[in-house]
Amino acid sequence: MTKIPVHLDINGQHHELQLEPRVTLLDALRERLGLTGTKKGCDHGQCGACTVHVDGERVLACLTLAAQAEGRTITTIEGLAREGELHPVQAAFLEQDAFQCGYCTPGQIMSAVACIREGHAGSDEEIREYMAGNLCRCGAYPHIVAAVRQAALEVAS
Amino acid sequence: MTVHNIRHGDASDGALAEAVGGRLSRVDGPAKITGAAKYAVEQQLEGLAYAVLVESTIASGKVRAIDTAQAEAAPGVLKVLTPDTIISLRTASDWFGTPPPDKPYCPLARDITFSGQHVAAVVAETFEQAVTAAALVKVSYDETPAIVDLSDGKAGDGIPIDAMTKEWGDAPAAFAAAPVRICAAYNTPREYQAPMEPHGLIARWEGDQLTVWEPSQWLDGMARTYAEWFEVPFENVRLVSPYIGGGFGSKALALSHGAVAASAAKMLGRPVKLVMTRPQTFTGYGGRAATRQTVTIGADHDGVIQSIVHRGVNETSIDGMWVEPLGSVTSIMYATPNFSSKQNVVRVNSVVPGAMRAPGENPSAFGIESAIDELAYEVGIDPLEIRLRNYAEQDPHAKKAWSTRQLREAFAAGAERFGWARRSPKPRSMRDGNQLIGWGVAAGTYPVRRAYGEAIVRILADGSVEVESSSIDMGQGTYTILAQTAAETVGVPADNVVVKLGDSRFPRAGVTGGSRLAGVMTGAVYKAATSALDQLVGLAISDPRSPFHALQANTLVVANGRIGSPRGDGPDVTIAELLKSVGRDCIEATGDTMPANSTAEDRYKNYTTIAMALPHTEGDYSRHSWCAHFIEVRVDEDFGTVRVSRVVSALDSGRLYNPKLAESQWKGGIIMGIGQALLEEGIMDRRHGRIVNNNLADYLVPTNADIPDIDVISVGIPDLHSSVLGGKGVGELAIVGVAPAIANAVFHATGKRVRDLPITLEKLI
Repeated sequence: MTKIPVHLDINGQHHELQLEPRVTLLDALRERLGLTGTKKGCDHGQCGACTVHVDGERVLACLTLAAQAEGRTITTIEGLAREGELHPVQAAFLEQDAFQCGYCTPGQIMSAVACIREGHAGSDEEIREYMAGNLCRCGAYPHIVAAVRQAALEVAS
Repeated sequence: MTVHNIRHGDASDGALAEAVGGRLSRVDGPAKITGAAKYAVEQQLEGLAYAVLVESTIASGKVRAIDTAQAEAAPGVLKVLTPDTIISLRTASDWFGTPPPDKPYCPLARDITFSGQHVAAVVAETFEQAVTAAALVKVSYDETPAIVDLSDGKAGDGIPIDAMTKEWGDAPAAFAAAPVRICAAYNTPREYQAPMEPHGLIARWEGDQLTVWEPSQWLDGMARTYAEWFEVPFENVRLVSPYIGGGFGSKALALSHGAVAASAAKMLGRPVKLVMTRPQTFTGYGGRAATRQTVTIGADHDGVIQSIVHRGVNETSIDGMWVEPLGSVTSIMYATPNFSSKQNVVRVNSVVPGAMRAPGENPSAFGIESAIDELAYEVGIDPLEIRLRNYAEQDPHAKKAWSTRQLREAFAAGAERFGWARRSPKPRSMRDGNQLIGWGVAAGTYPVRRAYGEAIVRILADGSVEVESSSIDMGQGTYTILAQTAAETVGVPADNVVVKLGDSRFPRAGVTGGSRLAGVMTGAVYKAATSALDQLVGLAISDPRSPFHALQANTLVVANGRIGSPRGDGPDVTIAELLKSVGRDCIEATGDTMPANSTAEDRYKNYTTIAMALPHTEGDYSRHSWCAHFIEVRVDEDFGTVRVSRVVSALDSGRLYNPKLAESQWKGGIIMGIGQALLEEGIMDRRHGRIVNNNLADYLVPTNADIPDIDVISVGIPDLHSSVLGGKGVGELAIVGVAPAIANAVFHATGKRVRDLPITLEKLI
């Protein structure tokens, strides 16, 4: 399959890649760019582990072709902390022990940041609903809710 | 190899967070929340090739032919592996270390015994090329009828497993004579571990040295299997598993896909990465076996049990053996003068089932904890009260004292917090609008599995402490609790401890399974750290260059990274200053908990098999963790939908090394139990013997929206018969008893007894 040039803007850095058009954003991140913080759990948009932000909105990187993200601003878990300062959602995940094995965690955190930004963190019920697309088999859900609640208050203040 | 420097605990934790028993935040947390944690298959290697598996589409029969021409011609393809072209391996020993039959092993099948069996693999330059080419491999079969599952007419009664028989008294006669008798059958379906990280590996050969980056619950056991398959010395195989994205029992053994990847790497002379697709994770290894149990209880009118007769069946594969011990909880939970439990296994065309969170105890508890609830209603006694009336004051089977059993305390604490006393006893008597409310209780237990472990503790020139062990952290908190153990024992702040795990080159550890790791490894690290501390203090006292030499002290105190005399007089120096003064750049101590006369062979056997694990009833005591779950459900009267709305669980895991992390594991077990009770079920296509819901959209695991807040209470006390530092098991325990507590709550809500998991709406309307 012929490769095409794909320019990706990820975490404020510009990357020029030669990719087959069928390469997903997820595999471009993990296999071509070494950005393995974004996880592959199902490759079918069922688990949320690959959640990244494209132009500030949460997107499943496994259901997005890399070429589709050209010209957009991509943020992955590696780009969330600014100058070594954890994002309030990251800090809250650590404090609330909102993860165990850590594999779903980058996707949970990217979803949580967007969930708060969307205004969907107004109550525990709302957080549960709008975080329901990110599976966690270790069962950290109650602590994820606590972390999102805590971070939402910090972001608002 | 992974290194963690502890940054900080919670702001609210205070200094004690760093000691054993403190609520220190996860030390591997910063790496996991920033994406810096590199899981096994995320290693970046030069020249990596990608392998994709091709699986059988029939459940029984033979591969007639494999046409690889199109696949081989596809762009980027380096190799197509079939049973005819893959290199020959030797059969490896099992996890007991049983010497294997002297015959070749082929991880790609010619004889098909289940749908989804690996029959070929394609290796290509890129993942996309391998996926595309794998779809071009054409396999033809001679199909024969398959035994789909336990309900298949061809399945038969199975094979009696005599080792599972437990009997005392005359259970059938006592049952026949009992004034109150209940008898019911309880079924659990195939369930899947479904860790978020799919199974996979990178294999690289350098000469006859094999390195495998693979998520692993047991580095040394898997290294042994790879070594035996490829007929290289054990020392030539290095397993690296820095983080594990969930295992729940499924990542303890080297599996056939690993043999395929390592074979491909050897054949190509290149590192090969093979990651299962999510659907492949449903057949590439076994989930929890489907089970059937009948439980009969004979009791008097006061609900006091006279006899329990229990019969169980679990499925296994056509050519493999998995026994899910179904009488394990049945035989110890309640006092009974007469008891009989027997079990068969039935062969079906499935991948061999495997360990999934609390194998045995989990389905066993579903049977007995549902049955005693049925007895409670039969005799008109509160379900909590009937459990107390039949409380086992000693192990009814082993006839030994419990090491510790805080189950009565668990019932009391859980009932108090839940408000059990306000329960209206009659089914269908509590409601909120069109929602029927039900309150259920059930108990759970898991044995304390003990083994031996090994660790190195080093005190380095800068005064920091380093811990090394080939044990692993799949989210239980091993990195954290070992840092706490070393910090407290040596006397340094926890942020001065670096813990390295997940590399088979480190001092060895046995399997991380059966909730044994924390007890084993804190014991080993405690021993090694104590020995390192003794060396440090010995040097300080006796070395002529030491500032303490003139003090003529018998001992010194090390705290917060400083050394001084117990009376507070004399010098007060940092560990770094002392080591500099005596000219040492490192103090190293190995600690292992093996018996003193152990041979090298004993050690190898201990770390690479489970044959040397100590029975939980060894000596004078019977050792178990215990728990009691109190659960509220809300059932929509019109639609039959069940929601768990409240959970209070009181648990006895002995001493908790880190309550913050233990609570997380408990809640995780409870949540998996909610999934088991209400959602999880492998569904078979009966025409083809194939799992049809082999993905995360159709095999339903709990989502955030399914789970209420969960209240857990620790009622444990230190149990020094169970481990060096007093802990019992944490990770397996909490799932045990959740499903029956929910089924009991559903009965209380609706008056319908569901004995067949999961409790889906069509069973209620």
